[in-house]
Amino acid sequence: MAVKTYMSQEGILPRGFIERARRIVGDEHFSQQEGDLISYSLDYWLYGIFLSQKGDLPALPSAVISPASAAQIQEIIRCAGGYRVPITPFGGGSGVLGGAIPLNGSVVLNLQRMNRFLNLDELSLVAELEAGIMGANLELELNHRGYSAGNIPQSLYCSTLGGWISTRAAGQFSTKYGKIEDMVLGMEVVLPDGNLLNIKPVPRRSVGPSLKDLFLGGEGALGIVTRATISIHPLPRLTIKQSFVFPSIEAAVDVVRQILRAEARPAVVRIFDEAESGRYFPKIGRKVTTIFISEGETEYTALDAKVIRRISRENGGKSSGEAPVDIWLQKRFDIGLGPVLMQYGGIVDTIEVSALFKDAAKLYRDMVAGMKAVEGVLEVSGHYSHFYREGACLYVTFAGIPKDPLRYYQATWDAAMQATLQNNGSISHHHGVGFWRIQYLEQELGATGVRLLKSIKSALDPEGILNRGKLIDGRR
Amino acid sequence: MAEDKKETEKIARCAMCADMCKYSCPTYLATGRETVSPQKMARLIVYNEKSLLEDEKDFLDLMFQSAMCGACSRHCIYDDYDLRKFIHKARVKAFDSGFIPEDVKKRVETFRKFGNPDCERELIDNGAGDTGYFISCSSYKDADLLKATEKMLSKSGLAVRRFGGGDICCGAPLYYAGDVEGFRQVSLKMKAEIESRQVRRIVVDCPTCIKMMTQIYREIGVELGVEIMHTAQFMQALLKQGRLDFRKKHASVTLHDPCILSYDLAMSSIPREIITALGFSLKEPVYSAEHTHCCGATYGAKIGDHRLKDAVTSMRLNELRDTAADIYVTACPTCKSVLSEVNMKYITELVAERIIAKR
Repeated sequence: MAVKTYMSQEGILPRGFIERARRIVGDEHFSQQEGDLISYSLDYWLYGIFLSQKGDLPALPSAVISPASAAQIQEIIRCAGGYRVPITPFGGGSGVLGGAIPLNGSVVLNLQRMNRFLNLDELSLVAELEAGIMGANLELELNHRGYSAGNIPQSLYCSTLGGWISTRAAGQFSTKYGKIEDMVLGMEVVLPDGNLLNIKPVPRRSVGPSLKDLFLGGEGALGIVTRATISIHPLPRLTIKQSFVFPSIEAAVDVVRQILRAEARPAVVRIFDEAESGRYFPKIGRKVTTIFISEGETEYTALDAKVIRRISRENGGKSSGEAPVDIWLQKRFDIGLGPVLMQYGGIVDTIEVSALFKDAAKLYRDMVAGMKAVEGVLEVSGHYSHFYREGACLYVTFAGIPKDPLRYYQATWDAAMQATLQNNGSISHHHGVGFWRIQYLEQELGATGVRLLKSIKSALDPEGILNRGKLIDGRR
Repeated sequence: MAEDKKETEKIARCAMCADMCKYSCPTYLATGRETVSPQKMARLIVYNEKSLLEDEKDFLDLMFQSAMCGACSRHCIYDDYDLRKFIHKARVKAFDSGFIPEDVKKRVETFRKFGNPDCERELIDNGAGDTGYFISCSSYKDADLLKATEKMLSKSGLAVRRFGGGDICCGAPLYYAGDVEGFRQVSLKMKAEIESRQVRRIVVDCPTCIKMMTQIYREIGVELGVEIMHTAQFMQALLKQGRLDFRKKHASVTLHDPCILSYDLAMSSIPREIITALGFSLKEPVYSAEHTHCCGATYGAKIGDHRLKDAVTSMRLNELRDTAADIYVTACPTCKSVLSEVNMKYITELVAERIIAKR
């Protein structure tokens, strides 16, 4: 093959495994064709995408298997265990940390055939779906029936429910509806030994530690989520959009803190720094802009918007009306600039971290300053996009045209992670670990935390069959 | 040269996008296969251009697995881009190098023999007037549709010249096969056929014919010089002008939006207006209008991967059946034929059934 791989060698599959896998899924769904191997070689890890334009791929799978059911996955996993063939689960391939890259000559287990909308329970406000359903399709199905899951990530159009679960994903409306871990009530998981675990959907339970939390953020390394039951919400009867300009990031963050302390629950809250505000809202220019969307039942929504308005005004916020919210709604899925910049040698990526309110503003200052100090930088900008009563997620975008792309990429990430850890933050809010963030894992979890996670991995998957090289290396 | 660079940048951009349109791609959804998603197709096209692929036959074969329906371009984050142009370019390369799938090869051979994608046919040419009704290849095979059209045209009181059959075809099968020269010849023949009939406007049932006769002919420098309108547009005008009297009926109707009508011709509201004007209650599948899914015909009728066609058709049938409507209607004769399991009607049939004699 003329494409080059820079992270692992092509795997050689035992003939017995190939024959058995073909029988399990059918010849049509087992592939070693060049086009398939290239298509499943990479997710949306942006450094990998940058290199891919010249035909350099991080790794190639040794085969792509596309099962249609949990039963087929069970058989494949058992077979892979027998032959010690590593398996990389592949959902939408939208992960940005390389979680779905088939390292070590893995076989890709493509989960996208399992994309059915299974059941809607309007009385309990839950829906059951296969994990391979794409976010946008899930929303179209729900919206058609008068509901929404409330999880609208920027990757809505290219990520799957299983991917959301595996990375503890968050959507743009998370301040009201929560992250995916707040939405999942039950799930079905194929374990690394091939057994099927059914976690039935109930609102809460008290039966020991939460097993489902092993797989919320399990990144396909602890099990393969095949279906899930999630909470849903009736489509809002009223939506109120507001925006305010504040004198500084510190002022804006403190206003949102007060709003949430006052029990308001806007669905969307975003604080854009000067640079992002200038890009999004040319009429406002480089001023810290905060947008709010309140939605739901008419009375509550009106009250929610009233509280936001009062607290914002009392704290020096100048109203900019609905227009900035509409602009953001229109542009929020537009990732178009990255692929253009990359063609001109640009390195682009995003980093999302979280911190308590007491640290949130300083974290922004330190992180942006640290990242801007790296040689080759073009721009670093940030926004806060997911809020809790206790703190927020900070989301920073960086771009550079460096002489040495990898050195720049590594140094920028190092600066961001260092600032986060120094400000008591978590190194990831919702993108997960994949393979790229493993290097910072011990600083986040501590040696004891890493040992515990390793123990969990090796207890579930002693041979390291599932998603080897991601999240944690559990091999003894 | 600058234009080439611009085009190269466009597809390179697509190849590095996050596949933000793949949720809309019927081929991807029906198969769950990443490789046929728009961004991955773009990556492979870029790699092929850079000679990074070893298995060119596999690549060219993949290029024939696109429905060419336009869902991806409709939902693209870039306004100035249509992946289908690049896929078509790859098909042209495949055609020129002889690497086209067997089904496609057979279809081209049939076309060359009969001047149409089906068989030897009788030429239809009757009536007179400055409005022409061009009988598309799919309409030609559909006796119910032709009968309904005849009723509708006769009740309209307009003078209409009907023509089609024989070796008159828009050339879509050749275009989709990548036969550039064959398609150009057909477009010139079509121009001559129209000029010889001296019509001012032409009414056509098939959205693909309309796309070919307008957008694609224009791309190769052929202007027909007449107004081309879809039958639904024509009937909508007749209804508005009061030229058709009809009896309303209370029943539920689900419209299957033909992909080309929605994505290329942007006419999804017109059939809906006709259906509701006739008194029917409209039911919408989850995927309709700007989210419609191809019926699968582009594989079966125009291209020819029957396994893919079956997967896409079966997905679309299930989506339509979920609406549990009394009647299923579409505005493309090929969609009607492919989705026959739900007793699909062409919209003219729905109209003709409700027409009554002028008071």
